[in-house]
Formats: sequence, structure tokens, C-alpha cells
Amino acid sequence: MGSTPQPLIVDIKENSLDDGPGIRSVLFFKGCPLSCVWCHNPECIGKDVELSYDASTCVQSGECVKACKEDALSLGKTLVIDTGRCTACFDCVSACPSGALSKMGESMSVQELVARLCKDKPFFDNSGGGVTLSGGEPTYFMDYLCELLQALKRQDIHTLLQTCGAFSFPTFERLVYPHLDLIYYDLKLADPQAHKQYCGAANETILDNFIRLHAMALDGGVEVLPRIPLIVGITDTVTNLGTIAAFLRKHGVEKVQLMPYNPLWRQKVDKLGLRSRFVAASSNWMTQDQIEACADVFRRVSVDVLP
Amino acid sequence: MTTASVLLTSLSQVSMEKLFVGRNRLNFVTRALLQLMALQYNTRPSLRSYLKGRDGWIDFSVGIMTETGGVEQSISFVGGRVKARSSIPDDVDVTLRFVDEDALFTMIRATPNEVLLLILNNKLIPEGNWAYLQLFNYLVALLLGRAHQRMLDKAARDEHQSRKEACDPCDPDVLKELQARTAYRMRGHKTDPGVHYLEDPYLSEYSLSDFPRLEAFLDDHLEKKPEVCSERPLLITQWFREHGFENDHTGQPWDPVARQGKVFKHLMSQKTPVVRQADLLPGTTTTQPTTGSVVFPDAQGTMIWGELDSIDKRLLIPFDITRETAQTLHHDVFPFWSKRNFREWARSKYGDRPSQNLGERGVAYFVWKLVGISHTIPDFRGLLSKGTRGLISDLVDTLDDPALKDEESRVTYQAQIECLQGVNAYAAHLAAHAANEASQEPDPERKQELEEIARVCAHVPQHPARTLHEALTAIWIAWVALHNENADTGLSLGRLDQLLQPYFEADLLKLPSNSSRQAYIERAIELAGCFFMRCTDHFPLSPDLGNYLFGGASSTQALTLGGVTPNGQDGVSDMTYIFLKVTEMLSIRDVNVNARFKPGVNSDAYLSRVCEVNFITAGTPSMHNDDAVFAALRPHGYDLEDIRDWSATGCVEPTITGKHMAHTGSILMNLVAGFEMTLNNGRHPLIRGHAGPSTGDVSSGDFETFEDFFAAYATQQGHLIGLAVELNNHLAEVHAQFRPTPLLSALMGGTLQSGRDVTRGGAQFNSSGTSNIGLADVTDSLLAIKKLVFDDKRVSFAQLKRALDTNFEEDPALKALAEHGVPHFGSGDEEALAMANRVLSLVHDMYGKHENYRGGPYTVGFWSMSQHVAYGNLSGALPSGRLAYKAFTPGLTPHPSASKSFLNNILDVARLTPEHMDNNMAFNVKLVPDARDGREKTVSTMRSYVKTYFEQGGMQIQFNVVTADTLRDAMAHPENYRGLLVRISGYNAYFVTLNKQIQLELIERAEYGL
Repeated sequence: MGSTPQPLIVDIKENSLDDGPGIRSVLFFKGCPLSCVWCHNPECIGKDVELSYDASTCVQSGECVKACKEDALSLGKTLVIDTGRCTACFDCVSACPSGALSKMGESMSVQELVARLCKDKPFFDNSGGGVTLSGGEPTYFMDYLCELLQALKRQDIHTLLQTCGAFSFPTFERLVYPHLDLIYYDLKLADPQAHKQYCGAANETILDNFIRLHAMALDGGVEVLPRIPLIVGITDTVTNLGTIAAFLRKHGVEKVQLMPYNPLWRQKVDKLGLRSRFVAASSNWMTQDQIEACADVFRRVSVDVLP
Repeated sequence: MTTASVLLTSLSQVSMEKLFVGRNRLNFVTRALLQLMALQYNTRPSLRSYLKGRDGWIDFSVGIMTETGGVEQSISFVGGRVKARSSIPDDVDVTLRFVDEDALFTMIRATPNEVLLLILNNKLIPEGNWAYLQLFNYLVALLLGRAHQRMLDKAARDEHQSRKEACDPCDPDVLKELQARTAYRMRGHKTDPGVHYLEDPYLSEYSLSDFPRLEAFLDDHLEKKPEVCSERPLLITQWFREHGFENDHTGQPWDPVARQGKVFKHLMSQKTPVVRQADLLPGTTTTQPTTGSVVFPDAQGTMIWGELDSIDKRLLIPFDITRETAQTLHHDVFPFWSKRNFREWARSKYGDRPSQNLGERGVAYFVWKLVGISHTIPDFRGLLSKGTRGLISDLVDTLDDPALKDEESRVTYQAQIECLQGVNAYAAHLAAHAANEASQEPDPERKQELEEIARVCAHVPQHPARTLHEALTAIWIAWVALHNENADTGLSLGRLDQLLQPYFEADLLKLPSNSSRQAYIERAIELAGCFFMRCTDHFPLSPDLGNYLFGGASSTQALTLGGVTPNGQDGVSDMTYIFLKVTEMLSIRDVNVNARFKPGVNSDAYLSRVCEVNFITAGTPSMHNDDAVFAALRPHGYDLEDIRDWSATGCVEPTITGKHMAHTGSILMNLVAGFEMTLNNGRHPLIRGHAGPSTGDVSSGDFETFEDFFAAYATQQGHLIGLAVELNNHLAEVHAQFRPTPLLSALMGGTLQSGRDVTRGGAQFNSSGTSNIGLADVTDSLLAIKKLVFDDKRVSFAQLKRALDTNFEEDPALKALAEHGVPHFGSGDEEALAMANRVLSLVHDMYGKHENYRGGPYTVGFWSMSQHVAYGNLSGALPSGRLAYKAFTPGLTPHPSASKSFLNNILDVARLTPEHMDNNMAFNVKLVPDARDGREKTVSTMRSYVKTYFEQGGMQIQFNVVTADTLRDAMAHPENYRGLLVRISGYNAYFVTLNKQIQLELIERAEYGL
């Protein structure tokens, strides 16, 4: 089997308090085997580098238009990008005075990355935090991950993987698993058809991989926490949550985390100039009652819901 | 309504175009107004009576002129006759110099607070004796009568309306979130080696409702205005009238030390003893049981002369004042002092020096010695262990020593003895008063308390303290006395947890049963709470101008907790946690609580508790790293035991407890002023004219390299520092020669050996502390010039200068580039950090060239009180992209846009060189709690930030744990937030008492989620 591709890093979110224990740095990898319609990190779906434009910080200087050799940019009320002409040279990003234009996806060596992450190690150590690998789907790049995780463990940094579960188990088990301290495992839709429809791929591998990881956890392996994004009308239905709850119960899983819908994702879609397939997306936050109703589905079958 | 007020108010309704088409017309109107004033005062006996003081007619004159030359008028008051003239006599007492006709016109129509803004913006420059300016203002206010009142009322209404409009409708839940914070309290465990009795050191079982008397005191404190008290000024003025000020009754010049000793003894012997209802600690700084304001006419007290009629109605921090007090101050007190105060003494000796003139323009620097010098910490250890009798006996022994020949020492010791006798007399009066109250008290429980109070203050401070109650009473009585000697400017309490722990333990040892010990612990909390509430009993009497310069600042009495003992052991004790509990429950602005932390020695449990108290109170205590402060103090050559015994003074500044006359708040220096002068070849846009030397013209290409520019900045800022130091040293001489402080000297280590007053260098250690404001803004601006103009050559210096002169209006792209295209201090960029350290080092070295009046060094700090707002409001656009008149960042806090990650801010600030910040710093961080998180997680995150910052070398950090939404709601609905505590930059204030600009700065500060 050939080696996995070199990843692009979209962002390193430092000082994150919500992506695992303690103070953490979250690494967002670019590229994902799924394409969930509600994806909160749409900039991380495609594997290739992209141009992002934030109209709210643009000062209309026109520097980008001047810098573009391909004539791909024109400035009206906001900047219009002709993606057909754009060759992704990013001269416009260098010219932009306000940072409204930015490049999504940087190639970084493991060494560079570890040096950057180690800067915050004193915070990790004092808070019980560490590094969280997220994306996109980090397991797209298992060779790189293996090297990165080993380097992090050499620095005694706690490692957490957030995954959609769509990976080849043997490779994962060999390259990634030994260097992890904690796994956050997304379960979205129980019905294979629905999963295919909304997430762009089947869920058999995902469920199988989860069962195996959970078994290993029970056997003293890495702790695995299943997490369910609550997407109004798609994943938060009683049927879906009930099926997942039964699945967890059946396999002896005792706790789960629910991730309430965050409507802010749409702004990111706009910045990338993408057109969402999820046209019915709500722009409201979920109410506490809605969240509690979802949690009750799990509590009824004695699966703890973490705050 | 008077004819004058009809005319004046009608003026305010006429448009400028109609009335003032030319300069001559305005000159004519000014003369007409002054003539009208003269007529009124000459003909109406009720008004004329105000021209007479206890010592006769008050003679003075006031000139009014414009710099443009169109107006020159004056009015003189001589022998009870008032005359207006079309010229200004050479010996005029004070002249109001207006920049132009517009400014004068504005003044005629303006409300009093708008006039202050004219002064702040350098459009109106008062020259000469300010006391007479204030007197003139008072006479104008009397003339305007109710019209003046209506103007004030309207200004207040407009302001409240504008505050409401500045805030979007807010989520009502923000108030609930804040209120809910006290409901849950973490439990602690006995882990600190110095904690011997508290099983749960966090004292989580107690809440304010367990202490009804504290609850009532707090409510009083938040509801009642401080009241101006005439007792001290009247008593000392009467004494001086009888015994002379310059010369004694034999006509011999007074030795000022001897004179101050005698007047102080008289004052304390005559002072009214007050025991507040239900209080456990006797004595008050004024005659007011809740909050009073001591007037210091010998310092800057006459600055409120103009407000005697309106101070109770002013917009910001009004004071109550009785008609009788106003009359007393006007007739009996202020006329005696109009030429006898710090500022006038300096003017009479040195004339109107450039250092004084520039200082008074408010743009470049402010020198606190105009107000006071006692920004230090007395030796309470000596007081408690020896009592005043022991201290007196030491002084007598030294006096009796045949080897003592030096007359100054003799006078100094004698004055100190008299001061201590005065304190004893006051304590005896308190004891008698409490006993008398006890005899009339029907409630047996209170009767017993009063009897105990009488017994306690019959014993202390004369004798050594034996119990916690005695120790706190002795400190409090000394505190009252010190605040009657010297204006309340940051006199600080030191390490009371260290000092009081032995008394706490001694009390407990006498108690055999568990239940009696529990009851005692509750009583100890209550006593410490009473002490805190007593410390808020005085509030500095600030003229309205002070509200715009130092918004909401109280006396700022710093208390220091934790850290290590002089021999390096863990200094956290039961009393540390008791004071933390009181801090949490009361959440008051003053006492200003500072928590020391020694990495590797103090526990995580202690730091967690400090963080939890910050969370509950939203803004206190401020936190300090012993390692960094030690490193900062070491180059001064103090013994390690002394360094380990440092305490915060005023805001944050380190002082060696009890033996160090450090006046740590001497100079508040604007680092941006020198920067603007560098950009303008020695001119300051607001000051007009040359404020500094010519160092090169930006637009003519005089700066070939960045180093050329940096050197020019060093010259300009060094020039300002030199002037500020000169003014500070002149004023230090005033304190030494005009108003020494023998009581403070008696309570300061080193004076017994030196035989000198503390104002004359008598303390064991001497220094003067400065605060330098705008470090981050100057650093980022230097970085922008270096990178954009010189390194990358993306813009010419001339283009950048044009953009600054137009406030970036014509070049928004350049502003964006300066903000986003240049790594700022706080971003984690090495070059940016190096630049910050370079500026730090430059400022430190510039002060290093100077010595203070008392022979000590200048120390250098980077906190800002509220001056980052005041100075920001007077400064133009900066190359960093900061727009004109916006606040600088508080203290030395990095700009919010420096980094997306707050951790980079922490790491950069932690790597600033501590040796260059020997007067400490303020790193302000606004944290926003996540309502979904539990208390433990929130506190753990806060502790992780602080602990890491300290381990990486950071010196000081302070939090505001409050959201912008909450602050906006408080701005619009102050009635719901009367006690909302915020940390400005070093000190605490109640948000609702702040001027609007400071409120907006706090709202706009970057916030980081928890």
C-alpha cells in the first residue's frame, strides 16, 4: 500500500477550551471523505488549497485587482472572483492590506508544526490540555499523522483525535492509534441511506470502526467518546437519535456527547463563495428545551449525556 | 432670576452668527458680562457678602483673553468693590487664556463639565493662581443661581440619554448571570502549610447574608454620596490663624516640621469621635459615619471652590455638602489657603517654569505631588508590637541621648512624639465616646459590643495589641490619623494577612471547644469585613476635572496577600483566606486587594481561590508573580528578606513594607506625547508651539533610517521625562519645606535612625515611582514605521504622515495595512517583542539618569490608572492604525488585534524584562465566562492562564470577568448595577460611576471566552 498524501493545514486554533480537556490547540486538516450538508468547517472539505474572501473586513483598496496577473478579480460592491481564471497563485493575498483575502491551506512539515504547537505546551501542562486533530478528516493523512503524533508524544503532549470514522482500520490501528490519548468519534446518522444522502458516503465502515475501537477501549485501550451533531430536522429526529442510542446501548457504551447546532457556519460558507446544498438550514440556535429533549432519548436507555 | 442670568441664559439661545460677527463684538460682550457681574456684586448685599472672608475682603483679579488677540478684559475684586476693565493688569492673579473666540464663546454658553473639556483639550488655559480661578467660578455660579442649576440638570439628562442610546437593548439574562455568581461557591481543602485552622479555606459555607451588619454597611456605602467634611480644614485653619503659619506668635519663622507636629496634635485632640451604628471598629476619617471626604486646603483642596454650590449635583461622583460646610469653606477656610498650597509654594519659589506649565496642560505628564505624597506603606508591625507608647519611648530615648546634637533631628523627633500623642488623645476620646454610647444603649448585645470597643481603644493603639480585634482597631485608628495628616492618594496597608495571623492564632488558642472556634472564625470574617467597610469611609475630594482624568478612582488603599514570608516560607495563612472571603463577599472598589503568588511555593489551591474571587467579583484581586517582582527589585540592592516583604502600593507598585518612602505614583507619563512630538519635529498638535527640541521633519525626509527616527523619539521622550522629573523634584521640595508629615514619619522604618522627616529622605529606603502609558501603542507604531516605511518601503514616511494628519480618512488601506500587515506586540513575533523590550529599556534608562529629591532612584512602571483613556483622548492618529482620540491599550496590554490567540499575548507580556519594570505593570485581560461551564472548569482555566503566565516570567495580571453586553446594560441601566466592580488599569471602580469614555473603553476591550 502506498503512503497517504501530504496534508494541508487550514488553521491552528490556539487556546481552544471546547475541543477536549484543558487548554488545547486544534489542528484543522484540509480534506474529508464525507461532505455533510451542514458541515461547520466547509473550508476543510476539499483537499486543495482555496482562496477565501471576507467582505466584512475588505477596505476596497483594489490592491488585489492590481496584483492579479490573470485578471480573475474585479471589484464592485464586493470582490468578485472568477474561479475559472484563478490559478491559485495567491499574489492577491500578499497584496491585500486588510487580510480580507486569505489562503485556505498551508503545507507544513511535521517539524514546523510541532515547533508551533510546542509554544503553548506550558498552557497544556498546567491545564491538562494538549493538541486536538480535527478537520476535515485527519485520518486522510495517516503517514503524516503517525509522524506528527509520535513527535507530539515525544514532547509529552496529550493528543486527541476528532474523526468521522471513515478510515481503513488496519492502517489506523498501525499508524495512528498507538499515539492517541483520546478519540472523539462522530456518529451522525444511523440509517445508511440517510447517511449517504446527507453525508455523501455510506456509514457501514464508520459503525464497524466504532464498534472495534469501543471494544479496544473496554480492553484498556484509548478512550472513545461518541459525539452526535444535532442538526435540526436531519440528525435530531427521535428515530435517528433513538436508533443511535440503541446501537450504543447494545455495545455497552455508557456516555455520549451532543453537539447542538451552531448557525454561524453559514458565514464561513459565504466567505468561501460556496453555495450550500443545505438550503433549509436554520439560522437559529437550539433552545435548551430542544437540547434536553434530544438528551432524554439517550438517558432513557441509560446512556449518560455529557455536558 | 437675576438680570445677569437672564442675559447669560439668553446668550445661550442665540446663534453665534447673529451675535459674534467679529472679534470686537466678542470683546464688547465679554466686557458687558464682566460689568454686569461687577454691578451685581457691588449692589446686592446678599452677593457682596461672599466677597468677604474671615480675614477680611478677598482681593483678587481675573483676566480673560484670547490667543488670537481679539479679547482682553479683566475683573478685579478689591476691598469689597468689583471693577471690570478693558485690559489685564500685570499683577493679575489668574488669566483665562482661550485659544480663539470660538473657545471663549463655547465657555460662555457651556455647562461646567463642558468647560472642563475645554481645559482638557487645551482650548482654555488657566494661567496663574488656580484658587482664584475657582473662586471666580464660584462667584459666577452664585450669580447664575438657578440658571446654573438648570444647566447642570439638563447636562445630566442629556448624558443619561446618550448613555442609553449608546447601548443596544440588552439581554436581561446578563444581569441574572452576574447575580448568580455568588450563589455557587467552591469548597477548598486544607493544603497550604500556613493554614492551621480553616478546614475549608475557601469558607464556602458563608455568604454575605450571614453578616447582616456588613450587608447594611455595604448597602449604605453604595447608596450614600460621600459628604464633604469641614472639620479638619476648619480646625487646622483656626489653629494657624491663632499660631501663625509662616511665623509663630513671636514672629519667628516656624520650623515646618515642628508646626505640623503641633497642628496635628491639636487636630486629633479636637477631632469628633464617631462610632458608626453597629460597627465593631471605632473611628471615622471625617465626622460622617458612612463616607466622608477630608478636605486638604493645604494641598489641592481649593480646587473645589468653584463647585461648592454644585458638587452635590454634578454628573459624575457627586458629593453631599451642607450649606453650612460650603459657607465655612468659602468664608473661613479657603481664603486663608489661596496662596498657601503646594502649587503656589512651588510657583513662588520657581516661578511659572516650563516643567510646571507643560505638566498642567494635561497632555504629556501628570505629577501627583500636587495632591499628595503618601503613596506608601506605614510600618504597622512596629505599631502593633510596641504601641504608640513604645514608639514614643523610643523617640524620647533618642532625644535624651546626649550624643544627639543635630537640631533638625530634635525637632523631628519632638514633632513625631506630638503626633503620636494626638493619636492617643483621639483613641481616648473614642474610648470615652464608646463607653458613653454603651451606657445609653438599650440593646444588651450592642451594649456589650460598645463596652468591648471602649475597652479595646482604651488599650490600643497606646499599648501593644493582643487580639485580632485590638490589632485591627489599632491599625484603623492609625489609618484615620494618617488620612487626616495627608491627602488620601494611595496610602496602602501592606501585608495584613502576614501581620494579623499571629493574633488570629493567639485568639483561637484560648478557645477550647470546636464550636467556640467556629464562632470565632465567623467573628474574624466579620471583623475583617468591618475593616474593609471602614476603609471605604473616605473618598478623595476630587474636582470634577478629576472625573475626566482619573475616573472613579477611590483612595486606592492596596492590601497585599499571599506570597512568601521574609525568610522564604509559604506566606499563605488562615488570614489570607479570610481576607479573600471578605473580598469576595463585599466586592468593593477600595480596599484594592493584590494577591502575590510565588511559583513553586504557593499552592494551586490558593491560586484557584484567587481566580474564583476574581470570577465572583468580576474584577479583584489583581495578581502578582513574586519571581518577577523580586527580579525587578534586586538591582536596587535591597536585602532578600526585604524584597520578600514587598507589598503593592496604590494600584500595583512594589514597596518594601513599612520602611520605604517610594511615592510610587509620582509621575504619570504619556509615552505617545513624545512620539507625536517626534512626528511633528518637537511640536505637539494639541499643546501648540514647541513642546520639545527640533529633531527632524518627517515630510522633508530628515529621517534616513529607522534608527534616526528612534533616536529622535528617545530625545523627545527624554525631554518630557526630564521636565516631569524636574517638576516632581520641585514639588518634593514643597512637601519637605511646606508641609512635612511627622505622623507618617513616626510610622516609617528608618526615621528613628535618620532623624529626618520622610518627606526629607528620612525613611530607610527612598525612591519615586513612575507610570508610563502607551507602551503597546508606541511599540506597534514604531514597528509599523520600521516595516512599512524603512524595511519593506511600502509607503513613504511623508505619505504615512499625511495619513496620520487626516486620521487615515483618505487612506483606509494604509490603516488596514498597519493593523494587519505588521506583526504587533502580543502576536508572538520575535521582532515585535524585541521592540517592546527596547522601548521598555529606553524608558527605564531615561529615568535612570535622574535622582529624586530625597536622594533615591526613579522606578519605572507600565500601568495606567485611567490615563490610557485620558491621554488617548488627547492624542492624534498613530502609525499602528489607532485612530485619533481613541483610548490607548490599558497598562501595557497588547492591542486586541495583535493575535487571534490570547495565549500569544500572555507569552509576549511574560517575556518583558522585569528589571525594566521596577514599578510594576498592568496586564489587563477581559474574560467572558461560558454559562454552560461549571465553576470548577472556569476557575481551572483561569488558574492555568495565570500560573503559566507567571511560570513564563509575567509580573502582574488582572481580570475583568464580564461581557461587553453586561457593561452595555449597566451603562443604560446604572440603577441595576450600582456595585458592578471593574478593574481599570491598576485600580478598581464601580462601572456606573465612570465617565462615558472609560465606560466605552471597557466595553470595547477585547474579550476572551472562558
